Amino acid sequence: MTWVFNEPLSSLSQAETVQRSKELWEAEDLGGITEDNNRLPVPVVALVLLTVATAFLTTFPLWGQRPTAAIYEDYIKAMDTPEIQSIIETQGDAAAMKRIVDMNKSSPMAAQLGRHPVDMDDLRVLKPQIEEIMKHPTVDLKDYTVVYPQVKIANFEGNFRPDGKRVRQQPWWDKGYTIDLFYLTMFFLGVTITVKRLPPYTWQPRHHENDRRKGERRHNP
Amino acid sequence: MLLKYLFAKNENIPAGSAAVFFGFSSIIWFMIGTGLGSFNAAKLAFPDFVTGVEMFAFGHMRQVHVLAVIFGWISMAFAMAMMYITPVLGNTRLWSEKLGLWNCFMWNVALSLGLTLMWTGITSGREYSDFPWPLDLAVAAFITIPLAVNVWMTILKRRTQGIYTTNWFFAASTFMLIIVFLVGNLPEYFHLTGLTEAYMTWWFAHNVLGLWITPVAAAIAYYVIPKVTGNPLYSHRIGHLHFWSIVVFYSTPAAHHLMSAPLPEWLKSFASVEGVLILVPAIAFVSNILLTMQGKWNMFVENLEVRFTVVGVLLAIPLNMQGGFQQTRSINWYVHGTAWMVAHAHLALLGFSTFLEAAAVYLGLQTLMKRKLYSLTLGNLHFWLLLIGFSIYWISMTMAGLIQGAGKIYEVPYIDVVIAEHPYMIARWLGGTMVFSSTIIWLFNMWMTARAGTEVPVGRMPHELAYER
Repeated sequence: MTWVFNEPLSSLSQAETVQRSKELWEAEDLGGITEDNNRLPVPVVALVLLTVATAFLTTFPLWGQRPTAAIYEDYIKAMDTPEIQSIIETQGDAAAMKRIVDMNKSSPMAAQLGRHPVDMDDLRVLKPQIEEIMKHPTVDLKDYTVVYPQVKIANFEGNFRPDGKRVRQQPWWDKGYTIDLFYLTMFFLGVTITVKRLPPYTWQPRHHENDRRKGERRHNP
Repeated sequence: MLLKYLFAKNENIPAGSAAVFFGFSSIIWFMIGTGLGSFNAAKLAFPDFVTGVEMFAFGHMRQVHVLAVIFGWISMAFAMAMMYITPVLGNTRLWSEKLGLWNCFMWNVALSLGLTLMWTGITSGREYSDFPWPLDLAVAAFITIPLAVNVWMTILKRRTQGIYTTNWFFAASTFMLIIVFLVGNLPEYFHLTGLTEAYMTWWFAHNVLGLWITPVAAAIAYYVIPKVTGNPLYSHRIGHLHFWSIVVFYSTPAAHHLMSAPLPEWLKSFASVEGVLILVPAIAFVSNILLTMQGKWNMFVENLEVRFTVVGVLLAIPLNMQGGFQQTRSINWYVHGTAWMVAHAHLALLGFSTFLEAAAVYLGLQTLMKRKLYSLTLGNLHFWLLLIGFSIYWISMTMAGLIQGAGKIYEVPYIDVVIAEHPYMIARWLGGTMVFSSTIIWLFNMWMTARAGTEVPVGRMPHELAYER
């Protein structure tokens, strides 16, 4: 069971251990079943790496996250302006909503507003709830999530603020991903160590006398 | 016969008895489970079908169908495969045929009792772990633990130095099932409620699929394909990648069943990444088995066991592609709570895993009874009815799910969605009934194989004689 580290990508086992593994591999009959020592095909390795990248990209909180109450703050403030009130009375809700959207085209929240469109009826439902939260000067609207028709404290668990309350905002890098990175690292490390203890994949067992697929390499003549 | 052997000395019980009884039990439970499924589907397709009797209400019968197929058909077919394959791979006998027979007997008793209670409405009310807690403990004591002990002891008493990949999965899965079962039912033992209950319930449900059904079904393919084709397994190394990725990535994504629940967001992010990484064991498994088929693809057409196995393996591709991505936040928002999920669950249990278990039961029963299959024609009929019936079910329910998703998002009135679903519910019933019919044919074929199958000479395998009279 001694380990060697001079060629870690080839083998982590001593030559004698590798030799014993080869002999056992060719001699053993597991209920009539035998195994080859092929490496993971390169396209499959590429597919595994693509899967890892895809796993993070497709689950990034951006995709599918709920809107925060903060993105509607300017919409709600605009509702009470004389201009919008006048449009509602003369042209109706749809025209007023279109004007509110146009007024906020250059808002830093424009991208999120685009992903979470609302109509005037939605805003009327949200308005009193968001205004109630805005009455508290120390409260950040970004800590609140719109779970229509309700506005709720978000279920993120960020750092503590000086007042003892938690930050309830989506971090760009969720701590769930950090745990995933740890899992992935331990997994690939573990599997690599396991397979590198085997004879190198350049060697293939010959399972019987007539097995000539990989040349003359039989260890149990 | 079973009762006679229950009280016989272990050495007087013929080798393979436990596996044979498990094999026939599994087919009978499959027939019961799919029969209930067909009945339930008829109620969805034709709402006036059997009304007025509480026992036959959909709410009473749905979970009986689910647990009959999971713990009756699938798990008993697994037990059959373990009783048969574990000793073969260790060049030894099963550690205790008597324990195996008692295991089979008590399994049937406990499951019958549990399903009857559930049918009458005595249930914990938590999906997949519907049994009341005394029955949970009975399942652990009489089903999962005896099975695991027999498998572990057989592996410990093996007469080989190494342990083949299939037996890694068998040993680990029986261990993981005990943990999953005992821990997953904690909400019931200790009356845990709220999010803790929801999370534990789905941790249980997800891990029954991920740490029991998926790895054991895969283990069967690792045995059947090299054994029947005569090819060496393509790669021992890929087996390691598959095994460890199942353990690491399949044990953690439970929270992805609750993406809209107020669980901590970091837990959802973590679970969702792990959910996509389920593709890693899937890639390893499918590539290893399909590469093992090199030079023997003619057997995909000619051999029944190989055909069942390879179809199961091929179905693992759409299964894991769906499973990996449907749980991400954005897609889950659309398909959650729709028939899409029902389709996915049937792709896993009736598609991927059932085809692999059927291969094990076909191969195991013929080999242990030393009888050639009574009728290959009926075997082929079983295969095609199962495949076509399953496909109709899966496709119709996937379409129904997409319609429901659209209805949900665009706030279409519920009754309009119900009307739109109707043709798909009829297709679902037709597909499910084809599966039920195929199971009756299968049971008849295996019964006749036991009674009138041609004896297989010593040293030959049943499939070698498939086309000989």
